[in-house]
Amino acid sequence: MKKFTIVDRLRIPTYDNPKHMKTADLFFNPAKCKQCGVCIKICPGGCLVTDKVTKKEVWQDMKSGVKAGVPRVMTLKSGATLCIACFCCGAACPNGAISIKRNFDPKYFYKRLTQTEDMRYPKRY
Amino acid sequence: MSVQEEDLSPLGKYEEGMPWNPVEKVIFERRSIRSFKKEPLPDGMIERILEAGRFAPSAGNMQPWKFIVVKSPEILAEMEKDAVKVIKFFMFFLDYTRGGILRRLFILSWVKWIIRLMKNKLHPVPVGLMSQIAQGKTSVFHGAPTLVLLVEDRRGVACPPTDIGICGQNMVLAAHSMGAGSCWIGLVQVLMYLPKWRKIFGIKYPYKLNDCIALGWPNPKADGMVPREVQLVQWYEKGLNDAPRVTKQGD
Repeated sequence: MKKFTIVDRLRIPTYDNPKHMKTADLFFNPAKCKQCGVCIKICPGGCLVTDKVTKKEVWQDMKSGVKAGVPRVMTLKSGATLCIACFCCGAACPNGAISIKRNFDPKYFYKRLTQTEDMRYPKRY
Repeated sequence: MSVQEEDLSPLGKYEEGMPWNPVEKVIFERRSIRSFKKEPLPDGMIERILEAGRFAPSAGNMQPWKFIVVKSPEILAEMEKDAVKVIKFFMFFLDYTRGGILRRLFILSWVKWIIRLMKNKLHPVPVGLMSQIAQGKTSVFHGAPTLVLLVEDRRGVACPPTDIGICGQNMVLAAHSMGAGSCWIGLVQVLMYLPKWRKIFGIKYPYKLNDCIALGWPNPKADGMVPREVQLVQWYEKGLNDAPRVTKQGD
């Protein structure tokens, strides 16, 4: 089990530094994606974007038949993202085009101790 | 990934590895819904959802809650506007991820002390969300047609916030089992900085507003199972001096 050290206790991570913040990693399969924009609409923080539309636009007037473009996770100037691994986009995606590679784990002060890196679906014990 | 009706187990039974039962299906497939249809749920359905909350367990049966249902589009629009205003105000002082290098260095010189003092409210996740809201990239209440404010009575037994959580979860599961969508919104707290909203909703001692639930018809339907981190669980099964057995829950 991970330990919470004295450095962790004292150091607050810088929120846009990729070394301090391990954010989740989403992979969009362009072959399966029908560009419907559902994932952008459902994302909690508005951190999925495409080159064509923003979340506000998808939200207000997304007409059927309009292609939203293949989404990607928005990166800040420093290269960090805001994805928190809720995977709501993956649950909503009608084509199963989204997969998740990594969990969300801030470092130092906000380090999570009992969560491991493996992501698993509910298991029937 | 959605479990079909015919594959479900009956309630009140357990066998190893048996399929999910309807209650588990609702629990595992509940996703926070953040885009709603314009028309609200029928009043009868909202009352039925509130009924699930009324019968939630609470410490000492004190029921330390008060429900406020907000359906007026005018009030909802005003709440959204004011919440964005307050968030923009705070993010002007706290968000170091935007703007020039001088602004960043100046804010970083003191913001981490504030984070230490307000570690829950300024966790990286809400700060990222509020930064997005301040930039106009997402909204606070997701255009929900109905908000249920869960007001906490601070005189409740033991730990009233826990009771509020149990009560709200009952309501959310009930809503999803009937095909509605819901989302917990803690950012309603920012409205409590404005005396105007405290007065409108009558939030004064002993009441406190920490959370609200957005209710509505989901658009599109987005319930489904998702993967979550495998958890390390400690089992204390032997003597006082023995180390606990650690298992990987979900692996």
